[in-house]
Amino acid sequence: MTNAARPSPIAWLIAPAGLLFVLFFVLPFAVMTAMSFYSGNPVTNPNAFLTTRHYERFLFDTAGIFHEALWSTLRIGLVTTIVSLLIGYPLAHWMARMQSRLGHALVLMAVIAPMLTGIVVRTFAWMTILQDKGVINTTLMQWGLIEKPLPLMYNEFGTIVALVHIYVPFMVLTLTGVIGRIDERLEQAARSLGAGRLRAFVEVTLPLSLPGILAGSLLVFALSISAYVTPSLMGGTDVLTLPMLIAQQVGTSFNPNFAGALGVILLLVSLAIVVAYNRILARLAGGQGMA
Amino acid sequence: MISRRKALRAGAGLAALATMGAPSIVHAQTKTLKITTWGGKWGEVMKATVLPAFEKEFKCTVSADQAFPFLPKLQVSPKNDPIYDVLHANSNEQWNAVVEGLVMDKITAKEVPNIADVYPYAVSDKIVGVTIFTSAIGLGYRTDKGLAKPTSWKDLADPKLAGARGGYLIPVNSLGQAHLMMLGKVYGKGLTDLDAAYKALEALKPIKLVDFTGQMEKMLLSAEVSMGVIHDSGVYRYEGANMQPVDFASPSEGVLALEQVLNVTPGSKVKELAFAYIDYMLRPDVQKLLAEAVWYSPANRKVKLDAKYDAKLLTTPEKVATLIQPDWKWYNARREDIDARVTKILKG
Repeated sequence: MTNAARPSPIAWLIAPAGLLFVLFFVLPFAVMTAMSFYSGNPVTNPNAFLTTRHYERFLFDTAGIFHEALWSTLRIGLVTTIVSLLIGYPLAHWMARMQSRLGHALVLMAVIAPMLTGIVVRTFAWMTILQDKGVINTTLMQWGLIEKPLPLMYNEFGTIVALVHIYVPFMVLTLTGVIGRIDERLEQAARSLGAGRLRAFVEVTLPLSLPGILAGSLLVFALSISAYVTPSLMGGTDVLTLPMLIAQQVGTSFNPNFAGALGVILLLVSLAIVVAYNRILARLAGGQGMA
Repeated sequence: MISRRKALRAGAGLAALATMGAPSIVHAQTKTLKITTWGGKWGEVMKATVLPAFEKEFKCTVSADQAFPFLPKLQVSPKNDPIYDVLHANSNEQWNAVVEGLVMDKITAKEVPNIADVYPYAVSDKIVGVTIFTSAIGLGYRTDKGLAKPTSWKDLADPKLAGARGGYLIPVNSLGQAHLMMLGKVYGKGLTDLDAAYKALEALKPIKLVDFTGQMEKMLLSAEVSMGVIHDSGVYRYEGANMQPVDFASPSEGVLALEQVLNVTPGSKVKELAFAYIDYMLRPDVQKLLAEAVWYSPANRKVKLDAKYDAKLLTTPEKVATLIQPDWKWYNARREDIDARVTKILKG
């Protein structure tokens, strides 16, 4: 037996992750997709039949809420990603270029610290800050600056604020690694050839950090379009996202088949956006697809 | 004289009998009743007192699931070997379950003798299974905001309460669904007058909506809302806790029933034990213990509560007569249309 025929040691190391991926993503997703094409649960209901009605229900949207929910989900995901990038990039750049080890460790702890608290707790904390009787509105009213509460919560604004707070660390941690590996001398070389700080950043550092921007953006986008707790608690009547609709269909309408169809639709639309985003960034970087 | 061969045959026969009998003996010793139950204070009392006493008396073990939602789990389990023997849920969910054949249509005093002592509402035609407790859905309000005690459901529409009134996300909360039907009764021809209900709902904007009652309690306690739809238990349970300035009002048009209903799954392998559990939950001593722990009105007429609970809960035929039971079968059949309509009304 030759060595080439044997699986490499790394293949054995990857096997548990591969198995987990198959067991807890591929298999459940396949079941969910199959269920979305049935009228009921074919395992417990012998009268369940194959149908496309759940997809038709979404497509034709006679209820007038499903398309808006999809658009709302994507809008919240995109805005959260952009704001997280705008906040996270300078912070990641600063951390990556920091000379002091102690300073770097302290900033890293500050970035990671919020992640040690659960999402529900952090969302409730935002509620106490942003609600009508919350810290901000109460303070501003006590100072006589406003007469009635500012609409900081029960809308998309409040939802995005809380989501950005929750997901910025993912952006920062992803970007810091990539920016840290960019050779600082390249930027210095550009400056020595006459480029200003801004031009050196835009033409050297930024293009080289595009893989980090892509990875961080995809991570934050994926997390925010699938968020359930935060939009439910912060959104009030103004926010209805697909994950909220899916939870409704499973938990209170008892229609897992339509919930499955909504899940498949969300995944397909998200994949299309991710592919498009990847191509745009690849073109900007002048190379091939990066993810 | 018994030959060696006969002796061996007899021995083998006895061994076979013993082997066949053994599983049933083991089974009898380890009977397990699978139930659903609530968490919080209710769950604490159940796990600390009620269930251990039941296990001791009926020589069984009880496996209690507190992880909501229960119905989707029951839906995907085999009907001939369901994940639960007893489903504890609110009335609207029981109606969803019965439509899918997941719970029994009716339980009578023949199976559960204590049913003979319950108020009529507990086994009315609006109920599948048996109601063991009920709460009254009415209006909770802050007593420190200069508001008069509400006397009508219409008081929630007071313009002074714009942005300071609370309700529920109707697609996910049965209190919100019951309130919608009540709007039809108060502003229209009856509980099923949806056009009047939609119009009245529109007039309640701006309104703060939550998806579960615990969150409404929190909004009332933090004064995020000054008045909101809530069940009496959600207000009374804070009695004496830091002198919270919150009270409950029963509108003159009647209060809505939020029933705690038990039902048995048709495929249960321990049906007798399941009926015994429901009977046990209707015993006056068990009812008194749980009613006073969480401020639920007991369904058994023979329960005598301590004075402070008796004064506020629905413990007499006159008080029980103020309960209005929604027709959940009717509501569930229209649910998808209602969900879509109210979502559009309340959005924006």
